[in-house]
Amino acid sequence: MLAGIDYFIVIAYIVGMLLLGLYFKKFVNNSEDYFLGGKSLPFWAIGMSIVVSDIGALDFVGVSGQAYRYGISVGNFDWVGSVPAMLLAAFIFIPYFWRGGMYTIPEYLGRRYNQKVRTIASVTWILFFALDLGVLFWASAVLLNVLMGWPIWISIVATAGVVGLYTYFGGITAVIMTDVVQFVIMFIGGFALVFLSLYEVGGWDNMVEKISTMGPEYRNHFDIIQPQDTKSPFPWTGILFGLTFVMANAYMIGNQSIVQRCLTAKNEWHAKASMIFGSALKMFIPILVLFPGLMAVVVHPGLADGDQALPMMIKSILPPGLVGLMFAAFFAGLMSSVDSLLNSTATLFTKDIYEPFIKKGADDKHYLKVGQITTLVLLLIGVATSPISSDFPGIYVAIQTFMSYFQGPIFAILLLGIFWKRTTEWGGLSALVIGIGFAIYLNVFKEQFFTIEDPFLYISWWSFLLGFIVNVVVSLLTKKHTEEQLKGLVFRSKILVENKKL
Amino acid sequence: MFNFDWLSGVSQETAKMIFLSMYALIGLLVLLLPTEYIYEGIAKEDRHWWNNLKLWSIVVLSILASIYNHF
Repeated sequence: MLAGIDYFIVIAYIVGMLLLGLYFKKFVNNSEDYFLGGKSLPFWAIGMSIVVSDIGALDFVGVSGQAYRYGISVGNFDWVGSVPAMLLAAFIFIPYFWRGGMYTIPEYLGRRYNQKVRTIASVTWILFFALDLGVLFWASAVLLNVLMGWPIWISIVATAGVVGLYTYFGGITAVIMTDVVQFVIMFIGGFALVFLSLYEVGGWDNMVEKISTMGPEYRNHFDIIQPQDTKSPFPWTGILFGLTFVMANAYMIGNQSIVQRCLTAKNEWHAKASMIFGSALKMFIPILVLFPGLMAVVVHPGLADGDQALPMMIKSILPPGLVGLMFAAFFAGLMSSVDSLLNSTATLFTKDIYEPFIKKGADDKHYLKVGQITTLVLLLIGVATSPISSDFPGIYVAIQTFMSYFQGPIFAILLLGIFWKRTTEWGGLSALVIGIGFAIYLNVFKEQFFTIEDPFLYISWWSFLLGFIVNVVVSLLTKKHTEEQLKGLVFRSKILVENKKL
Repeated sequence: MFNFDWLSGVSQETAKMIFLSMYALIGLLVLLLPTEYIYEGIAKEDRHWWNNLKLWSIVVLSILASIYNHF
């Protein structure tokens, strides 16, 4: 339970975030301000925001739990699972989206393929984000329940209230600037826990020695590359094909909440730099979220649920004051993830669904209001769906499972759409529908197809591959687009040598 | 096939080399990008070596490679 000073720190943090977020309300005068921050933000703020919104409650609780069970190989998600994809995004995809003046990824797909592809992609992301919100809320409840003894529903509603208020009024500028503060707090709190935990276990070498002698199940705990026949969800084949080639790229290039941040940059250099700066910061994340899980193997061996590793470490290692800071850090991660999802989903709904299908040609203030109302509705959906994630054994795996349905096929059509001008609207549409259907099929019958515990990496690879093949075959069988239709939508080497000309 | 059984003969050391080679290849591709493209968005008189995004990328990739080399 928290001491008096911890409560003070946590409450000061929450109130501070609320006031800071509400301060940015005055910068929101139109829908571009609300969804793209008036295209005025610097690379460092966007880079921090990308990182902190990516490591919310899921990583603090879920990755620590995975590290407790499977060791250091879970760090692949923030290392090889981020850096190469972020560089590809920075140098190829982000400049395209930025120069095209786009708001959403489905907007690009709509221009490149057709309205149906845009709508399917957008609806898919909206559904995913809504479920994601529920998982985030549940993750917060798990920690709060162990740490403070708060009832599940009270913690969920409190989180939703604070984040919803500043996201509703301040839009993406409030989201990104509160993320900057949340990033700093998360790093201070996270490193405090890591240093004190290291002291508790007698240093890194001592921890490695102790864990290595705990039994055969810990034999590969310090191998970042796991053998192909491992029973853990992270064989190197899955990391290379599923994570590096598909999921990482799909996440960094095709994920609205990530790309939308880069589109708020004040110019193209800042847009590119934000991704590269973010990739540098990303490499520190495993230290914050993975190391406490490893150290918990020594301090709290034999936990039935790995997701309890981090809460147990906080409870047993940190003194009063730092518990409050760590809790604020956790809350920072959670809030930054939730506010990103809220704003991105509101953007997707307003730009890809409401504007083309429900009310075309309304004035800008109307769309601003729609974005704000959507934010509120999403908040309610997230709260209502949060108990779903309690049915999954690992919170982090739960979210990866959701993502593996969609990421592969969406990345296949994005990749072919930008690099192969022969790709047609029917190719893209069939790849999307068949690819998502195949991913769901593989997931439902995973025991028949896969030997590893949670094959989400393999599912994303195979659904990507099928989507890719279907797209190529159907495109070759259908009428190709004209040069005029493809103008500015397909990669040409001259983007690299003739600036601003797509 | 779905489990990549056909790669079961590849050792962990070889797999690690595959990852390290990939980082080297990405680094090479980044170096091949035209400098003008890297600086797009910054006025010519404000361009300095510390704005060079190639340099940023190479540093990030080097750190990443050293992590994989160590573990």
